[in-house]
Amino acid sequence: MARNKTHKKMDMKATLKEMKRQSFLMVVSLAVVVYGIIFYYWPLTGWIMAFQNFKPKNGLLGSKFVGLDKFRFLFEDEVFIKVIRNTFAMGVINLVATTIMAVLFAIILNEVRRAWIKKPIQTISYLPHFLSWIVVTSILHVSLSSTGIVNDLLMRFGIIDQAINFFAHTEYFWPIVAFAHCWKETGWNAIIYLAAITAIDPSLYEAASIDGADRLQKIRYITFPGIKPTFMILLLMNVGNVLNAGFEVQYLLGNGLVQSVSQTIDIYVLKWGISQNDYSLGTAAGLFKSAVSIAIIVIANAIAKKYSEQRLF
Amino acid sequence: MKFKKAASLLLSVLMMASVVAGCGNASEGTTSGGDTTASTETGSESTDSAASGEVSEFTMFITMPGSEINDDNEIAQIIADKYGVKVKETWLTGQTASEATGTLIAGGEYPDFIDSDEMNLLIDADALVPLDDYIDKYPEFKNTWFTEEEWEKFRQPDGHIYWINPFGNTKGESKQTTHNDEAFWIQVRVLEWAGYPKIQTLDEYFKLIEDYIAANPTMDDGTENIAYTILCEDWRYFCLENAGQFLAGYPNDGSVIVDKTDMTIKDYNTSEDTIAYFKKLNEEYNKGFVDPESFTQTYDEYIAKLSTGRVLGMVDQWWDFANTVNDSFKQTGLDAKGCNYVPLGLTTKAGMENRWHTYDDTVNQASGIAITKDCKDPEKAFKFIVDCAMDQELHDLRFWGVEGVDYQVDENGLYYRTDEQRLNWADTSYQASHRCQYSYFPQWSGTSDDGKNANKPEEQPSEFMIDMAAPLKACFDAYGVTTYPQMINSVVETNGPWFPMYSYSNNFTTETPGGVAWAKMGECKHEWLPKVVMAKDFEQGWAEYMEAYNACKPEDFLGEMQEILDTFK
Repeated sequence: MARNKTHKKMDMKATLKEMKRQSFLMVVSLAVVVYGIIFYYWPLTGWIMAFQNFKPKNGLLGSKFVGLDKFRFLFEDEVFIKVIRNTFAMGVINLVATTIMAVLFAIILNEVRRAWIKKPIQTISYLPHFLSWIVVTSILHVSLSSTGIVNDLLMRFGIIDQAINFFAHTEYFWPIVAFAHCWKETGWNAIIYLAAITAIDPSLYEAASIDGADRLQKIRYITFPGIKPTFMILLLMNVGNVLNAGFEVQYLLGNGLVQSVSQTIDIYVLKWGISQNDYSLGTAAGLFKSAVSIAIIVIANAIAKKYSEQRLF
Repeated sequence: MKFKKAASLLLSVLMMASVVAGCGNASEGTTSGGDTTASTETGSESTDSAASGEVSEFTMFITMPGSEINDDNEIAQIIADKYGVKVKETWLTGQTASEATGTLIAGGEYPDFIDSDEMNLLIDADALVPLDDYIDKYPEFKNTWFTEEEWEKFRQPDGHIYWINPFGNTKGESKQTTHNDEAFWIQVRVLEWAGYPKIQTLDEYFKLIEDYIAANPTMDDGTENIAYTILCEDWRYFCLENAGQFLAGYPNDGSVIVDKTDMTIKDYNTSEDTIAYFKKLNEEYNKGFVDPESFTQTYDEYIAKLSTGRVLGMVDQWWDFANTVNDSFKQTGLDAKGCNYVPLGLTTKAGMENRWHTYDDTVNQASGIAITKDCKDPEKAFKFIVDCAMDQELHDLRFWGVEGVDYQVDENGLYYRTDEQRLNWADTSYQASHRCQYSYFPQWSGTSDDGKNANKPEEQPSEFMIDMAAPLKACFDAYGVTTYPQMINSVVETNGPWFPMYSYSNNFTTETPGGVAWAKMGECKHEWLPKVVMAKDFEQGWAEYMEAYNACKPEDFLGEMQEILDTFK
């Protein structure tokens, strides 16, 4: 008992000493914590709106509390259920498509041995990343219009005999969005995989060559395992972003006809929160989205922890 | 050393604390004390500027797409020199009107003037300056601009007037030459080809277009003609949505039909005439006469399409297309080929009365020009609104331009323009560098104070006739008319005091079940009306639409509209 006490005392002493030694570091990190509180956590108090009937005139403190009314409205709204489905579907499709494209592109580019071909291709391929969505969607709009290049080619090759109005059919919308993402981001996302491939020890490839492995086998047994950690970490990080399936693309490409598949949660928030001036409903929808995102990332992390060494936290 | 460290720690903690405290105070300050500081500031500043006679630069946002004029615009400068006010107008781009308004509110910073389709949102956010006191300061303006009854319509539940509708006022004798409303439009060349037949019903209209396309699949230069297109983007989907009310012979109440016999609200969305109208569109779509891009085109694409002269017919409001498209026809010479549009007063059955044209001044009390709380000098801002309405010289500058440069005056004091002046006036770069209409400030149609000239060139009889291309003139002659309203030939009658009902529904919010229903109905119609038109089987498509439509609880909306109508009983 007594010994225990002294032990504790010594512990305290050690801690204090340690704290003194690190006081400068602690002040610096305190600054970061305060920054975080002000700019990340303080704004979250606005979430109160989701439980109020918020009016800009009355402010956050003067608005009437309505409990879970706004959430009830959300989940009774058939449109919102569809919106969740759309967001989720497009998020997953985009994630899968862009990841696969990026990995494939990185590997293919890596197999190109001549630098004077490889460098320009790499540069050209990531340039679309710097275009804004409004430009990309305009290009899509023009090239997919009934007199656009896609219909023109399809008709010239006799694949179809009447122009397809791509934006009038719900079934084309998700693929178009996925294509837009791939077109824009493949080159950019491939950079990180290319870096990971470069980091693979060249002696492994040499050894494989000596063992008689051909190109495909080298890709399969060396390149793939070599980039797997990067792949897993990126996948995990992006899974948390699945519900951020996008706003601009769907907003700019959508129209009344396809709105049942084009609306995402962000568009719904804009529509009800800003356009209809129902900030509370918008906040409730946003809050729901954040909660689901957190849940998804925690679950994904737990799965990753269980089946491989990589994880975020 | 130790002391120093401790001191630095203490200091940093204090600094952080002061930052946090500073934030808290600032936000409290603006919510409680904001009003008083703002009012004292404006008080001192208004006297300053009035004394020195400086040019005040105001900003204005209008929730409509429009073209910005250059900063060194010549007429804007003349107005600034004379009236001490220059207004920098910005227009809607990319967003919808309500999004733009909502964004302004969320940001909390407003332009000096605003004209929004969502005025009620701005009131909710306490963003507007009550204008009552200012209005009372200018009794002449008060008495001329609106009648006492009309002013009352603008009074909000809190007892104040916040905005003034700048449109729809006629001074003196009406010189109305245009049909500034909705119609089924058709190109003159189609009528000319068919020998100017009398077209009264929807069936005749589409028959005519079909025949014309069969005989003339392309234009002279080989471009394919488009039989019929529909604009469906955002709020402009009225081009698809509300023709049913007109076909049934009702005026443009916009969101509902008012049955005057027993003062009841009727829903045109489900009326027989509307069903017949969509059935016809569906039939034409499946026959391939409706432009397949109808439901996916944007407003800009639509205007570009009309400007090529390819489109034979469509439903639209004159103000939504005619100014841009006619200017472009004039520049490209397509007007000489008979591409101009004339309105037809169609009804479901032949011989019915039609009410497409609104003869009286329509006062839409749902929107107008307002001064925001951020305006530094509301006194001067309001004076400029009054000047715009009351000063004939300023009005002439805005709509006719500079004498000797943009128009000439003949020996009788009548204004006229040379061909060059007319072309200039229609030229977009000239419009940006020279023309300054301040088109969302109060303006008159009808006759000028001099008792001779029209307030706007397009209403000047001589101008109107000369400005007309030969084919258009020939068409008017063939039908024995001289103006567009005569062409559409609506019944002359005065609308009830509730007219137009859309000015009430436009201000519905999601606060009430009716407002929620109204928002949902809009969304539902946006999706389903195009689907109905494109459906392979109309009956089935319509049934599915009705199911979705009834799920929006339209009865809540109609009930609230009935309550409003009942106040006029």
